[in-house]
Amino acid sequence: MTATTAAGSANTTTNLRTSSEVFKKVRIALTYGFLLLFGLAMVMPFIYSVANSFKTLPDINANPSLLYPTQGVSVEGYRKVFTQDFPRWLLNSIGMSVTLTITHLVFDSLAGYALARIKFPGRGIAFTALIGTMMVPGIVLLVPRFLVLKQLGLIGTYWGLILPAMTGAFGVFLMKQFFESIPPDIEEAASIDGCGRFRMFFVVILPLAIPALTALAIFSFQGSWNDLTGPLITVVNNRDLWTLQLGLALVRGETGSALPWDILLSGAVITTLPMAVIFFVFQRFFMESATYTAVKG
Amino acid sequence: MNKKFAFLALVLVIALSLAAAAPAVRAQDKIQLRLLGWSGSDAENKALNQVVADFNASQTEIEAKFEPVPDYDTVLQNALVGGDVPDVFYVSVQNFPTFVRDEVLMPYGDKLDNVEDFYPALRDSFSANDMLYCAPKDFSVLALQINTEMFEKAGLKPPTTWDEMKAAAKALATDSVAGFVLNPSLDRFAAFFYAAGGDITNADKTEMAVNSAENMAALEFLNSLYSEGLAKTTADANAGWGGEALGKGLAAMVMEGNWVEGFMKDSYPDVKYQTVELPAGPTGAKGSLAFTVCYGVAKNAKNPEASIKFINYLVGPDGMKTWTDGTGVLPSRMSLAEGFIKQFPEREVYLKSAEFAHGWGFAPGFNQVETKANEQLQLLIAGQATIEDALKEIESVGNTVLAEANK
Amino acid sequence: MTAPSVTMKRASEDTARAKNMQEALAGYGFISPALAVIVVFIFVPMIFAFIISFTDWTGLKPVNEAQWNNFDNYRKLLFEDHPNRDDFSRALKNTAYYALGVVPTQTALSLLLAVIVNQKFLRFRGFFRTAFYFPSITSAVVIGTIFLWLFNRDGIINRLLIGISGGSYRPVTWLNDLNGVIHNVFKVFGLTLQTAPPWMRQTEIFGQSIWQWLSGPSVSMLAIMILAIWTTSGTLMLIFLAALQDIPTQLYEAASVDGANRWQQFRRVTLPLLRPTTFFVVTIGLIGTFQVFDQIYVISSGAPAGTTVTIAYLVYTTSRGAASQSAATAFMLFVIIMFFTLIQRRLMGSRSW
Repeated sequence: MTATTAAGSANTTTNLRTSSEVFKKVRIALTYGFLLLFGLAMVMPFIYSVANSFKTLPDINANPSLLYPTQGVSVEGYRKVFTQDFPRWLLNSIGMSVTLTITHLVFDSLAGYALARIKFPGRGIAFTALIGTMMVPGIVLLVPRFLVLKQLGLIGTYWGLILPAMTGAFGVFLMKQFFESIPPDIEEAASIDGCGRFRMFFVVILPLAIPALTALAIFSFQGSWNDLTGPLITVVNNRDLWTLQLGLALVRGETGSALPWDILLSGAVITTLPMAVIFFVFQRFFMESATYTAVKG
Repeated sequence: MNKKFAFLALVLVIALSLAAAAPAVRAQDKIQLRLLGWSGSDAENKALNQVVADFNASQTEIEAKFEPVPDYDTVLQNALVGGDVPDVFYVSVQNFPTFVRDEVLMPYGDKLDNVEDFYPALRDSFSANDMLYCAPKDFSVLALQINTEMFEKAGLKPPTTWDEMKAAAKALATDSVAGFVLNPSLDRFAAFFYAAGGDITNADKTEMAVNSAENMAALEFLNSLYSEGLAKTTADANAGWGGEALGKGLAAMVMEGNWVEGFMKDSYPDVKYQTVELPAGPTGAKGSLAFTVCYGVAKNAKNPEASIKFINYLVGPDGMKTWTDGTGVLPSRMSLAEGFIKQFPEREVYLKSAEFAHGWGFAPGFNQVETKANEQLQLLIAGQATIEDALKEIESVGNTVLAEANK
Repeated sequence: MTAPSVTMKRASEDTARAKNMQEALAGYGFISPALAVIVVFIFVPMIFAFIISFTDWTGLKPVNEAQWNNFDNYRKLLFEDHPNRDDFSRALKNTAYYALGVVPTQTALSLLLAVIVNQKFLRFRGFFRTAFYFPSITSAVVIGTIFLWLFNRDGIINRLLIGISGGSYRPVTWLNDLNGVIHNVFKVFGLTLQTAPPWMRQTEIFGQSIWQWLSGPSVSMLAIMILAIWTTSGTLMLIFLAALQDIPTQLYEAASVDGANRWQQFRRVTLPLLRPTTFFVVTIGLIGTFQVFDQIYVISSGAPAGTTVTIAYLVYTTSRGAASQSAATAFMLFVIIMFFTLIQRRLMGSRSW
């Protein structure tokens, strides 16, 4: 602040400015303080989990709130996790999520395109039916889906995990919204060139849809990676096909005694790690995806 | 762009190969038997795996495997309905009536070796329609485990009456040690009901008899322990279960079954404790509860002969001995009792308690009553229900369920 | 009309028809894979569930041996003084309190965060966004496991509270405390089960006494609610943030010229323009909270004393041994969700589907 030795009116202005600047500084400080506090609340549980996963079990029980081990770094939790079936469950999770991401990309965009651009009898019904399924809570299907899978001989099989989740109303809806935003003249031009619907879709439309497909891929991968009820319905009685989520949820019930926090925390870290890596690599897309639906929807 | 496609192709290959690898093909020369059960302590898993290994070593054509699973009821039901039926599976005495009603089990009692050797009460537990359905795996009885060191230090003797028990809890409870650790649930509190002269149902299990003056007295006694801070739940004592509370010195007294013996030997070999009969009620009557499990075979089992052969080993003299030695549960065969007591004299108290213990297991669908009762008892000790209301509620839910079961 | 033009028209009609046909075929081809999956794994099971809900199937027998029992399951669930109705009404109560606590809090919190993060002077915006969003990418199982550990009686939360309060805080057994939060408030004013007037304890409405209806969520449920708010606020913040960035700055400038201070600007400009987004956030919040299952399965399994049994969790537990009752309960949940979805559609109009 430069000192102004002028008339009284100027002086009051300076005072006003000073007070408003002080006010502004306080506001900025408060803002950062609040955000920092909140950011810590969001992140600390993970930091604590990671830190404690490298401690011995007694150390975890005695000093959970220390971020460093007092009895030396221990990878005992991870060792136990890896001698459990976690590596297998990790593979199952990867296999399931990757497969489902691919099927979602194909099926959802095909269906979304049909609903957005192709006129065919029954389109309205198909759309309503599809959207209607968004109202069905997953748990409602617990028993009957089990019966259907049983009829198809899919209980406790890898395909039982995949087939029911290959597509979803949400993804179809997302893609439909996107395709509707593409100007129709692009298709008209292609259609004049004698381009059929299938070729047009794969050659002309899909390349335009990369942003929407990215969002869809992220959603599908995240959704299948984190899914608990699907595997719970289908493969709970086949330990070899458990996913990481199911394994982490159930492994706790396998020991009769106290909760084995070293295993559980290491398991939680392992279960989150792939998702976290993808998140930090594709961060921008995650943020865009999260808002995509809300804004477009 | 090329890189992206290469990545996509790689991902596709991984996915497909995983998909192909997942339904792995097993070479099957021998008959493979699956024994599905819940997992108790590490000691239990170890002991049963040992029995199964011994059996496998004696067989050329059968190979059995023990699969302990969490969330057992869901897994078993999925397996039974889904067609992936395990050859042999645990059936708790609670579930037995339901399984009989729904015709899940194959009665194979007549194919068991030396059936008369099983305790009559255990045979009764798994009999219906004049048939023995399945072989009792073992049994367990509730007793009182006391931390000897704490009792000796305070110059106290093991309690034999409710008053002595309360006095001991009062003398031994501190900020970090609970006088008595017990979770409120019907399958524990009922031991006190019986000691007070009360009951849960009438003799033929058609009507409830839980809302009685005797049970009210039992609940008044128990509730006073909690409300005066002398008794704690396991969570409040910061333990996973009673055995852990005893092992960690968080409790002066706990009330567990004989499964605690194997656990203590395994996990807390240095803790000095002693097992005594549950204290007698106001009239001097004793009460305890006995729980048992059988090895069930499904009605539509794939390998009934091999399964029964396997079971005959599991409950035979050798298999049962290995199992009970490792875990502390009681042999279901009378002929093994003597040798068992000789080997584990400290466990005789459980066998003695069995003489006045009441069996568990009531009617199809009774699980709902147990759940309701447990909730009422939890509410009671939290001060969110009165003794009268809790007993009335249990009685009314129980009568509805029993009426439906006997329709 | 001359002859050639008629033929021409007919020809063009033919091509148009052929083209329509082609279009229709393409449409069916495009949509059939997705539709097939949805029909087989959602519609058929829904019909199955509906049929099962009118039988006595327990879940253990083969399903074709089940007997019709008319409306018995629904009667016991809704109209009769039956343990099933007690369970259902309690689950309804637990779920409603859960939703009532979670939805307004997460909506307000995410809006607040969005407004703060949206401020022009803010640096490290990306960092804060990332930090807030991170919990959303993890699964209910992982977060449930971590919270189970944090809210342990001897866990970090209790240690933290002891530290902050200087030791005057008496540790709460978070995950085993069945006392209702509102009951706890009543207690401060001396109103407990023992002192409550008889009409409160004895008047039963739909399976619960008035006293029970007024319990509020149990302390254990409160811990799970904190978890839910903590997990979802980040995503919702991003949704609000996107909407905020769509508001033209000129509007604020105009308001500022009119002499409106920041609070007035927020009230008069921001809030009205965010109304559609807020509706969206509230309704998806309601739909999500009424379906809560994973967290319960991982953390509490409905304990203590059934105070964290939600409708979805009740569907799960009853599916063992009482499958037809479970199916009927599932249908009630479906009706509730449908109700919220219809409200959403009505309120959002064409903006949504």
